Amino acid sequence: MASKAEKVKSPVKKFDWKEFKRQKVLMIWAALFVIYGIIFCYLPLAGWVMGFQNYTPKNGLLHSEFIGLDKFRQLFSDTTFLRVIRNTLAMGVMNLVFTFVAAIGFAILLNEIVSKGGKKTVQTISYLPHFLSWIVVTGILHDILSGTGIVNELLLKAGILSQPLNFFAHPKYFWWIVAAANVWKETGWNAIIYLSAITSIDPCLYEAASIDGAGRWAKIRNIILPGIKPTIMILLLMNVGNVLNAGFEVQYLLGNGLVQSVSQTIDIYVLKWGISQNDFAIGTAAGIFKSFVSIILIVIANQIAKRSGEESLF
Amino acid sequence: MKFRKVAAVLLAAAMTASMMSGCGKSAEIGASSAKESSDAAEQTNDEAKAEEEATAGAEELDAVKTSSAGEDVKEFTAFFAVPGDELNDDNEIQQKIAEITGAKVKETWLTGQTAEEAVGTLIAGGEYPDFIDGSDGTAQLYAAGALVALDDYLDNYPNLKNFWSEEEWDKVRQDDGHIYWIPQFGNPYEEDMTATPAEAFWIQTRVLKWDNYPEIKTLDQYFDLIERYNEANPVMEDGTSNIPYTILCDDWRYFCLENPPQFLDGYPNDGSVIVNVEDKKIVDYNTTPTAKAYFQKLNEEFQKGIVDPESFTQSYDEYIAKLSSGRVLGMVDQAWQFQNAMDTLKQQGLESQGCSYVPLALTISEDLTPQYMSEPAINVANGVGITVSCEDVEGALQFLNDILEPEVRILRSWGIEGVDYEVGDDGIFYRTDEEWAKSTNSAYKASHGCAYSYLPNYTGLLADKINTSDPKEQPSEFIKSLPSDTQECLKAYGCETYVDMMGGIAPVPGPWFPMYSYSNTMTTATAGGTAWTKMGEIKHEYLPKVVMAEDFEQGWSEYLDVYAGCQPEDFLSEMQEELDRRIENAAKYQ
Repeated sequence: MASKAEKVKSPVKKFDWKEFKRQKVLMIWAALFVIYGIIFCYLPLAGWVMGFQNYTPKNGLLHSEFIGLDKFRQLFSDTTFLRVIRNTLAMGVMNLVFTFVAAIGFAILLNEIVSKGGKKTVQTISYLPHFLSWIVVTGILHDILSGTGIVNELLLKAGILSQPLNFFAHPKYFWWIVAAANVWKETGWNAIIYLSAITSIDPCLYEAASIDGAGRWAKIRNIILPGIKPTIMILLLMNVGNVLNAGFEVQYLLGNGLVQSVSQTIDIYVLKWGISQNDFAIGTAAGIFKSFVSIILIVIANQIAKRSGEESLF
Repeated sequence: MKFRKVAAVLLAAAMTASMMSGCGKSAEIGASSAKESSDAAEQTNDEAKAEEEATAGAEELDAVKTSSAGEDVKEFTAFFAVPGDELNDDNEIQQKIAEITGAKVKETWLTGQTAEEAVGTLIAGGEYPDFIDGSDGTAQLYAAGALVALDDYLDNYPNLKNFWSEEEWDKVRQDDGHIYWIPQFGNPYEEDMTATPAEAFWIQTRVLKWDNYPEIKTLDQYFDLIERYNEANPVMEDGTSNIPYTILCDDWRYFCLENPPQFLDGYPNDGSVIVNVEDKKIVDYNTTPTAKAYFQKLNEEFQKGIVDPESFTQSYDEYIAKLSSGRVLGMVDQAWQFQNAMDTLKQQGLESQGCSYVPLALTISEDLTPQYMSEPAINVANGVGITVSCEDVEGALQFLNDILEPEVRILRSWGIEGVDYEVGDDGIFYRTDEEWAKSTNSAYKASHGCAYSYLPNYTGLLADKINTSDPKEQPSEFIKSLPSDTQECLKAYGCETYVDMMGGIAPVPGPWFPMYSYSNTMTTATAGGTAWTKMGEIKHEYLPKVVMAEDFEQGWSEYLDVYAGCQPEDFLSEMQEELDRRIENAAKYQ
């Protein structure tokens, strides 16, 4: 949008000292954030050097021996790492899809509630879990899914199971448990932004639709969904870049020996080999790979959005 | 550090919550711990009052801080990468020791992480406490250059220097020829008085009593008894159902599942391998016929519903909560790992139902002699070291030296005369029943006792050579420290201590013992170390699968296939090299 505006004026603008002075306060604020970004986002990138070194904490960054891409080769010949990528992608995509659909659906449903008090109450309750730390959430999950937990009790009473099922002992359930936990924790919180997008839709549209004889369902399909489409696209784009951040705490806290082949994510791998085994180089290499893939994903998603004429990030 | 504390609090909360939902009995646990904490609060109130009175006349505020601890007390920090209990800041005996030595150490322990993670995080941060015991992460600390070489200093501190012999100090030397840590365990003064076992198959006394205290020697007899008992008595007195057998499998603690094959074969705890004494060769216990028989037995019992179906997914906290409720009839564990559960059982009075545990030394067949317990030996892999962050290395070593003085040793283990123990006419220390009860109260321990348990100390006897270092090992006291049902059980077997139940203590098999002190220092820098890490991961995943498998044979052969893929031979050959090296080195001192 900004680029369009510039095109109308002059394509290249000379630096204007007066203009700068006039915006002094703004510039100071902007500078603060630039400095923040440099210190916390760009300076740490110097640590990437470790990924190309036979790094030991004793020798430090400056005196460790360079070994080129050896660590990356080691990484990709490790079947555990390949499995870890699969797990991360799978859980990332599942989390993205389910939390996304749930949040949009929930926002629309919430919007349909007429009673103001009821709406507020439901909304408040639904976003509370967002403020719980994962350690509490996993504690709750452990309890409700345990042999004597509520889920097993219900399934037993309903006659679906004949004896309690140990959910955490079967690799096939693990991803679903993680996805469900994410949905439970984040739906209410994520719905807030959609809800505000829905409120900003011009009420005239609803009135016009009513006159045309549209029911609730038709209004949702033809007014609300198109109305919040830009919001959906932007959030989707931002979240695609986050797919590989499929989580660390949940998998770390819920995982156990039996399900470790499906529970470990790249972050856990980095912790295990980088920190626990003191091989900072391989941990860094895995981290670089993760950032690299994230950037590629976000660029691809952005291009797709642009091509299909939707909102895009850049 | 902050995160760890928060995590600990939350874990504790989660644990209490899970205990609440566990069974009816747990209400009492909650109540008793609540009572404890209110006791503690009262106590601190009293202390605060006393302190106020004592310093009422003092003019300066600073005086309040120093008055109880004496003047200019040096404060050191310590991190031990093992679970432990933190002491209150105004701990009484800690103050007393500070008055004598002029220093105190604020100890912190591992919570909610593995030792390697905790140590790795410290290394990444580059800032350390003054003292550190890295446990399984010790090798990493050394590799990161985080520890101060101690050999140049040691000569100035006679108590420390004499703590180990020259031969033993040489064993602790790293490849650069220096000493970086002081092993603090396995060092009896005068005579070994060990009365508590380490790892064993444990069983509740009610199970043994029900069958009139039978001889239980093999794995088959053990499970047979548990099965029969559980069939006859499926529930506890209050109606809670029993858990016949559970297995702790949480993270590094899964040794409770994987290492019994070495004991069942009649070998001592070398930890990671078996050493064949005849031909001095390393044997892998993971694939022996005994290992297969053991896992087949577990598989069978799992199918019968005897093995707790939650075994492999429960956390350590959930496991301890289960044991504390008295529901679990038997398990394999190290005594130190469930000491808290034993204390809780006692506090709840569950000894009256026979819920206390006694150890059994099982083998796979009756012709084997069990060696669960060995004479103490130095573990060269771990110890307390001083880090490069310590600004006063001399002061720190002086403190370690001073806490080995006779009067401090008494304070560390027995406490204060007239408060924690009494002295008989013959100079023999003893505790009254009330003093024994106090000694297991966790609130009292936190506010009053200070053992500095991970700093060097002797076991065996005190300097007077008539009293034991550990009150629980004092022969005249030992039986008093036990729950009533355990006393009855030991009597029925004609045993005086747990050790007798385990068939006594075996001599150290050779100068190489224990081999785990080498495998613990392995890192992924060598092929053997990488294999060792991978073997650990594979075992942690596949052994539970083997136990749960519907078709055992298929599960076992699957395990063997994947296991072979880790190249265990790399690990075994490095262990063999170390074994040869240790035998060679020991020959120099003969």
